[in-house]
Amino acid sequence: MADEEEDPTFEEENEEIGGGADGGQGKRKRLFSKELRCMMYGFGDDQNPYTESVDILEDLVIEFITEMTHKAMSIGRQGRVQVEDIVFLIRKDPRKFARVKDLLTMNEELKRARKAFDEANYGS
Amino acid sequence: MLKANTSLSDKHGDTSVSGEMPAVPMVLGANDKDGIPGDQFRELKEASEDEGELRCPDGSDLMAGEREDASLFPPAAKRLKRNTKTEKETKEKVDEEEVQRMKILLSSLSEEQQNRYEMYRRSAFRQETMRSLIQTTAGRSVSQNVVIAMSGMAKVFVGEVVEEALDVCERWGETPPLQPKHLREAVRRLNSKGQIPNVKGKKILFF
Repeated sequence: MADEEEDPTFEEENEEIGGGADGGQGKRKRLFSKELRCMMYGFGDDQNPYTESVDILEDLVIEFITEMTHKAMSIGRQGRVQVEDIVFLIRKDPRKFARVKDLLTMNEELKRARKAFDEANYGS
Repeated sequence: MLKANTSLSDKHGDTSVSGEMPAVPMVLGANDKDGIPGDQFRELKEASEDEGELRCPDGSDLMAGEREDASLFPPAAKRLKRNTKTEKETKEKVDEEEVQRMKILLSSLSEEQQNRYEMYRRSAFRQETMRSLIQTTAGRSVSQNVVIAMSGMAKVFVGEVVEEALDVCERWGETPPLQPKHLREAVRRLNSKGQIPNVKGKKILFF
């Protein structure tokens, strides 16, 4: 049972670790290596995480992002990725939902604060 | 969302705070911020008022307003204004308490823990890389907010996987640097909980 569930999902990772000549994910440049190392340490891993683990996480993140992008493109306004679609997709997951709402709120506040600051400077 | 609310009120153990609906989502917002130092965030929050709508999803703002004035009968306009004022005061009081508690907690951490906490707050995905990845997938340009939202979600996702993997590691009686087998088992578990998005999944109905 576990094997059946595992194989289709982890085919890509196995091929990549085997150093396969697939030219797909195995050969792609590592996009998030440095950031992921810091993140893993922050979340509880060792100060120097294994490179294979970082690679696996990077593949997971990239897969997550591409999946979410494709889903967002298929709902709401077709062919476009909009924030409302992302928020809709995330509605059932409390952590991600709260986090995204917070980030967007903070961003708005920062923009407003910056704008007010600039206007104050311009006035004087 | 309800789950998140109860866990926070348990953490505070302060019945006066958790009793009020508007206050708890405020705390939720304050707790979950990364990447912006606490003081700066507090100033910003006090500077801009009435941001309540986003912090209280599902329109709980409206519910709180109605519930509070069941006992008073002023006209509608005055009613809303009065509630916003008390809401703001409670908000600020809760913020002050929250900041105090964080300070106490942070000062009692060991150096290694402080390091780790700093890494936790500061680590983030680079926006340019994220933007180019999303745009390549989408085939067209995306707005800044999308990149911000996606980066935040990706970080939470990494957190979920790493935490689950650490749990697996502990259960198997092994020690930290996480190995690929821990991560794979973690993903398998999250998959059955439905946390991993998977459009290509084969849906087998009756097994």
